Amino acid sequence: MDLLNQILAEPLDPDYARVAARPGPRPRMRLALLGVAVACGVMFAAGSVQSTRSAPALAVEREQLLARVADQQAQQESLREQISATTAEVARLRDESLGQDTSARALQSAIAAAEADAAAVAVTGPGMVVVVDDAPGSTGPDDGRIIDVDLQMLVNGLWSSGAEAVSINGYRLSALTAIRGAGDAITVDYRSLTTPYRVEAIGDPGQLPSRFAESTGGQWWTFVRQNYDVDVDISVADELQLAADPTLALRRARLAGSGPS
Amino acid sequence: MIAIIGLLLGIVLGVLLEPTLPASLQPYLPIAIVAALDALFGGARAWLEATFTDKVFVVSFVSNVLIAALIVWVGDQIGVGSQLSTGVVVVLGIRIFTNAAAIRRHLFHA
Repeated sequence: MDLLNQILAEPLDPDYARVAARPGPRPRMRLALLGVAVACGVMFAAGSVQSTRSAPALAVEREQLLARVADQQAQQESLREQISATTAEVARLRDESLGQDTSARALQSAIAAAEADAAAVAVTGPGMVVVVDDAPGSTGPDDGRIIDVDLQMLVNGLWSSGAEAVSINGYRLSALTAIRGAGDAITVDYRSLTTPYRVEAIGDPGQLPSRFAESTGGQWWTFVRQNYDVDVDISVADELQLAADPTLALRRARLAGSGPS
Repeated sequence: MIAIIGLLLGIVLGVLLEPTLPASLQPYLPIAIVAALDALFGGARAWLEATFTDKVFVVSFVSNVLIAALIVWVGDQIGVGSQLSTGVVVVLGIRIFTNAAAIRRHLFHA
């Protein structure tokens, strides 16, 4: 504390008093005084000019980063579209080469059914929509934030209740889709979701809601709804459109008997 | 009087010329400005107390700025640059406030 006391007691350079107490005229250094004063002014001006100049530079940098993010997102989007177009092209070429005879038609319908089941093509139909949202002001799973397990239970409940196609926030779920928590966000196929979570399921609208309520997932969500302040809104829709899962591809598996390539 | 004219002249010059510091000196400019402010307030107080001397002001200004920059430079070398600048700003800030209070008492007798 001695140091602080000294700073408080002696804020003025003691030399001022010492030189003033000396007899005779005080030493004058007008030129040096002027030089120091000018240097001081230049320093103030340079400092303020510098910080006002660097503020727009920071903003520009931020803008550039945002633009790059937007660019990358647009590129990702265009690549997804490219995937969809290529997939459609593959289907068209396959249909062409299969020809028109009876066995080919049977094969085509088998392929179409398999593709719809595997989430490889967009599908449409009636079903139910579940919109869930975190409890207001929640910070974690203890006070009503929805976590990955909740969505997993919801989706599994829908599958077991007879849903034929499910998507979360527009992301179609396939057999290879992972619903996982990453930090504060839930990801589907490694893409972050934002609340509210809108789960769409195509299935018999007359049976799906009641069977879901009886399923394990439905019971899980009844518990969640009764014990936490989360928003759950279940409705029936006449017409749902679910996009294809563009990430769907077999990377390692190949048809049995075809041998390693 | 010379000091005030010089200060204004310097500010005008700085705004007009927009001098650019070398990048290696830029981190020390803010701390040097605080040190300069301390010397300025000290000089103003001494002037009001009729003990102002050019020489003491010049020496205290130059040594203040250099020592403040040196402390931060040393801190940067040993990895505690930001903590040391905080320390310098606190100490100089206390002095500036005390001197400003003394100046206020002299000017307004309150």
